[in-house]
Amino acid sequence: MISRAFLFVVVTLYTVFAAGPFVWVATMSVRTTTEISLDHYAWPQIWHWEKFPIAWFKSNYQVYFQNSLVVVVAAVIVLTVIGSMAAHCLARYRFRANRLLYFIIFSAIIFPPQITIISMFQILVQYGLYNSLPGLTLVYIAIQLPLTVYILESFFARIPADLFDAARMDGYSEWEIFWKVSLPIALPAISTTIILNFILLWNEFLYAVVLITDEAKRTLPLGIQRFIGDTMYDVGMIATGLMIAIIPVVLIYAFFSEKLIQGMTAGAVK
Amino acid sequence: MATVSLKDLCKRYPGGEALAVDSVNLDVAHGEFMVLLGPSGCGKSTTLRMVAGLESISSGYLAIDGKRMNEIAAKDRDIAMVFQSYALYPHMSVFDNLAFGLRRRDFSSSEIDKRVADVAATLGMAELLKRKPHALSGGQRQRVALGRAIVRDPKVFLFDEPLSNLDAALRVGMRGELIKLHHRLGATMIYVTHDQVEAMTMGDRICIMNGGKVVQIGSPLDVYREPADTFVAAFLGSPPTNLLPATFASGTLRIGDSTLALQRDCPQNVIFGIRPEDIRIEGVAPQVRGEVLAVEPLGAETIVRFRLPGVQSDVLARGPRTVSAKVGEQVPLAFDMASAHLFDPATAHRIAQERT
Repeated sequence: MISRAFLFVVVTLYTVFAAGPFVWVATMSVRTTTEISLDHYAWPQIWHWEKFPIAWFKSNYQVYFQNSLVVVVAAVIVLTVIGSMAAHCLARYRFRANRLLYFIIFSAIIFPPQITIISMFQILVQYGLYNSLPGLTLVYIAIQLPLTVYILESFFARIPADLFDAARMDGYSEWEIFWKVSLPIALPAISTTIILNFILLWNEFLYAVVLITDEAKRTLPLGIQRFIGDTMYDVGMIATGLMIAIIPVVLIYAFFSEKLIQGMTAGAVK
Repeated sequence: MATVSLKDLCKRYPGGEALAVDSVNLDVAHGEFMVLLGPSGCGKSTTLRMVAGLESISSGYLAIDGKRMNEIAAKDRDIAMVFQSYALYPHMSVFDNLAFGLRRRDFSSSEIDKRVADVAATLGMAELLKRKPHALSGGQRQRVALGRAIVRDPKVFLFDEPLSNLDAALRVGMRGELIKLHHRLGATMIYVTHDQVEAMTMGDRICIMNGGKVVQIGSPLDVYREPADTFVAAFLGSPPTNLLPATFASGTLRIGDSTLALQRDCPQNVIFGIRPEDIRIEGVAPQVRGEVLAVEPLGAETIVRFRLPGVQSDVLARGPRTVSAKVGEQVPLAFDMASAHLFDPATAHRIAQERT
């Protein structure tokens, strides 16, 4: 009984800790900046739903949202396909320099973005991709590929080799085995990487702020930054922007979360 | 049905010094049930995987129905294989698991439905077709794995220790079903196991392997009764053959401090091999006496462990359930010398019986 009460208290505290900021931003998103400056934590007296269409149409959020969606969805698709293929090869086939290749891909994780961004900037300028959405997409693929391969490789390595042998005996080629056997089995791990990559890239700010300058090419995090002026913050609109930005993340999470949990607990129970 | 021929088949893994499979010669006849038997790491699974096309052949020659197969891909050999781990596709239903190989071979959907239904009925799993593998018991999974092989109607069936993940009772049942299946299909089957009971009960012939080499090939009773060397004598049979160092001089075999009359000629130093069932406890005309170290009643029979005077290793005898020997007693023993074997201590090979 005591342990249940203790668990309840811990879970309640953690929920307040995790959900508190979200609820706070959600309430601020339907309050004006004037109201917020009078009392930061008050419950909305008047629910200003009109702030959402204002942000969407008049503050260019429509464009930012679209840019973010194009860049992130394209990057996540490419990351998922290339990452899973690379992980399948590294986990499944014995070939010379297998581990060396894995190490080289993985070693990109250890460099902080502040270092790689300089070279990324130079490369994009040289190839005429600076200040373009395809350029930003390529950079996003490059920075997230090591983590994607790392997560997927460890999952693919746990798929019993007998399954591949059975598929070969059933007459399938290596390419077909990847699509028909490996990929469906690895779906929990792939869902994990999809959620992870989507959230990280959806919120990505540093590369976007350096590599994008045009107003029409800004992504959502840059759009939200627009409400931060030199002398004042439009806190109310920032909160509204944040709520707009959160919606796709919540949707993606809701759609893939069951698979995510399977991915995280895979192998824990036989 | 098909014949399978292995000629000087060798496998060397990259970086490996010793051959994993060393000059294996084996001919499997049409419709024969051949068992590859041996301890872990003896090369039996590697040999099977080379026949399947899942391992490359380092040297030698493999033929199915007289046609060279060395360079032919696994999918084009028309072979089906049942794996120890079942290797069922976890994301597919039982129906899809069975149909997976047929779809690749461009069978019509009506033909696939018919074949899957036939196999499901044969193996008694018609009601399981919609289930996923994780919702099946071990025995049911084994059945699906078997069905996946049968449904393709291949030339040759390969089994890689298919029963070793099942519990003892289920294993006995599946063993019987596999024997019946072989009789009904009349197909050529190669079956790998380390379980001698499976080998003895299922195989038309047994190929015993050790250290990558074939040690002996023969019918189960032949290899049991006439083991080629001490390895086969010790490996086949439970409890195994008693192997005791002995010396021979003028018609008498001396084992420790005991002597036995031997009606044949042989070298001075030999290894004397006798199966536990060929030692009679408290029998008529006892030749030696031994001290009882342990008595293991198994219900139908009793295993008695002895120590012969002057012999380091224990001797096991299989007696009837009525054996009354007690631990510490000296009991008379009679050896059936006609069933005993002598082995050369240098080569471990059996010394041919030239009875005088």
